[in-house]
Amino acid sequence: MSVLALIESIFMILCVLISFFYCEGDLGCFLKSAFITLVVGGILFLITKNHRPEMHKREAFLVVSLVWVFFSIFGALPYWIGSYVPSYTNAFFETISGFTTTGASVITDIESLPHGILFWRSLTHLLGGMGILVLTVAILPIFGFGGMAMFNAEAAGVTVDKLHPRIKETAKRLWGIYMLLIALEIIFLMLGDMGFFDAVCHSFGTLASGGFSTKNDSIMGYSPYIQYVIIFFMFLAGVNFTLHYFAIKGNLKKFIQNQEFKFYLGLILLITAIITLTLILKNHAPFEHSFRDALFQVVSVITSTGFVSADYTAWPSYLWMLIFGLMFTGACVGSTSGGVKILRHLLLFKNSILEFKRMIHPSAVIPVRYNKEAIGKDVIFKIQAFVVLYFAIFFASTIVLAFLGLDFISSMGAVATTMGGIGPGLGKVGPVDNFAMLPDAAKWVLSFLMLLGRLELFTLLIIFVPAFWKNQ
Amino acid sequence: MIKFKIILNILGKLLVGESFFLFISLLVSLIYQGNDTTAFLKAGLVTFAVGTFSYLLSKGVQKDLGKREGYIIVSLVWVVFSMFGCLPYLFSGAIPSVTDAFFETMSGFTTTGSSILNNIEELPHGILFWRSLTQWMGGMGIIVMFLAILPTLGIGGRELFVAEVPGPAPDKLTPRIKETARNLWGLYMLFTAIETILLYAGGMSFFDAINHSLTTMATGGYSTKQASVGFYTSPYIQYTIIFFMFVAGTNFTLSYGMITGRFTKVFKDEEFRFYALVVLFFAFIITLGLIAAGSVTGEQAFRDALFTVVSIITTTGYATADYLLWSPFLGMLIFVLFFVGGSAGSTGGGVKVVRILLLFKNSFYELKRLVHPNAVIPIRYNSKVVDQRTVTNILAFFVFYILIFMMSAVLMSFWTPDIYSAFSAVATTLGNIGPGFGEIGPMENFHNLPDLAKWFLAFLMMLGRLELFTVLVLFSPAFWKH
Repeated sequence: MSVLALIESIFMILCVLISFFYCEGDLGCFLKSAFITLVVGGILFLITKNHRPEMHKREAFLVVSLVWVFFSIFGALPYWIGSYVPSYTNAFFETISGFTTTGASVITDIESLPHGILFWRSLTHLLGGMGILVLTVAILPIFGFGGMAMFNAEAAGVTVDKLHPRIKETAKRLWGIYMLLIALEIIFLMLGDMGFFDAVCHSFGTLASGGFSTKNDSIMGYSPYIQYVIIFFMFLAGVNFTLHYFAIKGNLKKFIQNQEFKFYLGLILLITAIITLTLILKNHAPFEHSFRDALFQVVSVITSTGFVSADYTAWPSYLWMLIFGLMFTGACVGSTSGGVKILRHLLLFKNSILEFKRMIHPSAVIPVRYNKEAIGKDVIFKIQAFVVLYFAIFFASTIVLAFLGLDFISSMGAVATTMGGIGPGLGKVGPVDNFAMLPDAAKWVLSFLMLLGRLELFTLLIIFVPAFWKNQ
Repeated sequence: MIKFKIILNILGKLLVGESFFLFISLLVSLIYQGNDTTAFLKAGLVTFAVGTFSYLLSKGVQKDLGKREGYIIVSLVWVVFSMFGCLPYLFSGAIPSVTDAFFETMSGFTTTGSSILNNIEELPHGILFWRSLTQWMGGMGIIVMFLAILPTLGIGGRELFVAEVPGPAPDKLTPRIKETARNLWGLYMLFTAIETILLYAGGMSFFDAINHSLTTMATGGYSTKQASVGFYTSPYIQYTIIFFMFVAGTNFTLSYGMITGRFTKVFKDEEFRFYALVVLFFAFIITLGLIAAGSVTGEQAFRDALFTVVSIITTTGYATADYLLWSPFLGMLIFVLFFVGGSAGSTGGGVKVVRILLLFKNSFYELKRLVHPNAVIPIRYNSKVVDQRTVTNILAFFVFYILIFMMSAVLMSFWTPDIYSAFSAVATTLGNIGPGFGEIGPMENFHNLPDLAKWFLAFLMMLGRLELFTVLVLFSPAFWKH
């Protein structure tokens, strides 16, 4: 029991935090929601008041998983109470999609919503993005997994070994960078004649790699300047934040030396080039426009943002196959993006190539090297376990969605996009459609997948392992 | 330095072997008095001549074979065999285009079973028999077959065996490669013979019974009927074929154990249990799905479901029902099976059950390792600890499989009208299965695809049949370095 109590007390603090944000809205529903959250939080806090705040690994796993669930449960209240999203399923879906920075929406007419609700929607992204930064850069490495675990040596200045007390420092620095980038983007967007409100909301959506927009047609209606600004900031949001930290301290060399960054950049350019060429040759679109559409979609999907400036499902089918492939890459570790992450792909790929050398020289020991350091077998095993589970869950969930009545392409698209935290999928859940018409059961499954993907599978899955609950 | 002479030498011997099989088909053609007699005579003579010539050219060669020569020989054998194997189709005019003939032959040798023919029943008996025979030769592996029957090939047997059967090695039947190859082939022939008798007893004509047995045991899937096994409505025949497909997808070492009476070994084998479980589980769900859809009744629903599941998982590719007409949910289930494949040491292709099992085990153990970070938790398989090296190898295989699948699917979507066809064409050729989805479903075939796509798919078949590495290693720079 002590474990649970401790967890709840932590929620309390977080809930009060949320309720503070709620007051941003000028509507009664926000007050009501804030009040409910505050009361629940308060009660939980009082119940557990006399507890020693001491946390073990297992409690930490639980806290991390439950925080996202509880946030979403209460975060859905404004939509629901205000009946902007009448069904609770939809409201929950929208909220968890916000907090996990997925950006998949069930709201069909976004522009008809009041500003308060729109702002809350983007705010969930902001909070989610902050949570992810701390999660991936500070907390998951301590558990011994997450892409950043293998990054410890490299980023010694920022990453921490213990939950206490430097995690606070780390978090502060990361949030500093995050806020700085958001502020910069707001300024740039406003220079391009976007209104202040829209600029703020889009900046939240961009840096958190979320993808909620305040417009029905996402970024499509905006000027090329604005699109390029958003591309640039999406790109930055997909870079490891510790690299930004080094860059701010003047150490730009880290960028150039980082293999993952180079691979990320190379991949974006390659796919963009292919798509641009096809659009020019097949659709006879002008160069600049093709290039912009291609780059925007590629960056948006690879960073798992999910903003849309063109409908890629209208492109020739091999192009959206490429986009579908990108849904599985994700961007760099330690960024706000979702998906498998490039570092994992890179290491797996390196290991696979080395297997040839091992075949020809069977007795040689040939380790994988990343940024010139040898990577241990256990790390490769972890990544392998991750990727296998990712694909297994992908297949299993696709079948479940097909069972719930979706067609082949839509189920694959919906699963890939929610697990990767992207937003738009393929087929009936493509960029110009949304998730509103899915059956309720499918929405709950997808909500779960968003959380699973966001928490890098293991954090959530470990709770379902019997060994986790056994007394040690 | 890679010794090209010895490669030439061995290829020459193997070609002479192939001409022998062409002459067998000539016999069949003579018996049935088809118009393909001269075609087989010509093809056989050409193959024999080329084989003898390259053998004589490299006669005095030193008889030691390295690993690298092994990989080259094995990869080349499949290409060369398909090049000569498509001669009968061309000479007889059964398949006029070179591309199509090569595709059909490669699909035969790799036991894929994807066909470009849509007039199968009009073809002469000799051609049909050759078509089934290519699958039968390829089923256990061309090299393994010749290791068993040709005494002079004895040099470098181990290198060749390892290159052709690269999977996570099942315990060998006997310590000597040649003995192993011989036992495997004996078993293979025995099963083929039994199936022929059983099918014949079920009212199938003798010719059809032989052909279907050859392609069942090879997990190939070529039929002598346009409607595949769906032509035979008799449940007895369908169940017989189901049983033998299942056996062909089981590790032959286990079947050997079964015959010699070691039943416990079979039922304790983790891979076999997993394989049987997957088959039953999927068949069960699909049966329910079919009954719920209401188009077929109990027994037939079960039979259709079981047949399709076994046919796909063993990578045979026979069809009795058109799964494209089933609901998308059931279709997805079938599609997942495309990636499972038969057991290691069977004639089935695909990823192979043991690889999937070990990958899953490692993933679940990883969760345990997270709970107990200081414990050393190795992977156990059949209660033995699995070497880390094996796990990394499997992992590399898995990564390449997915990568090649994804990239090829993108490439294929240039050539196919829709995405299902692209996805499934790649999955079905890489896994050596046969039918796909969409344009290339079980009741359709591959003849509509452009030539370039056919060459590409033929390459994928070979890649899949040799379990990726044997072919891919030839493209790595390290391979060619001194």
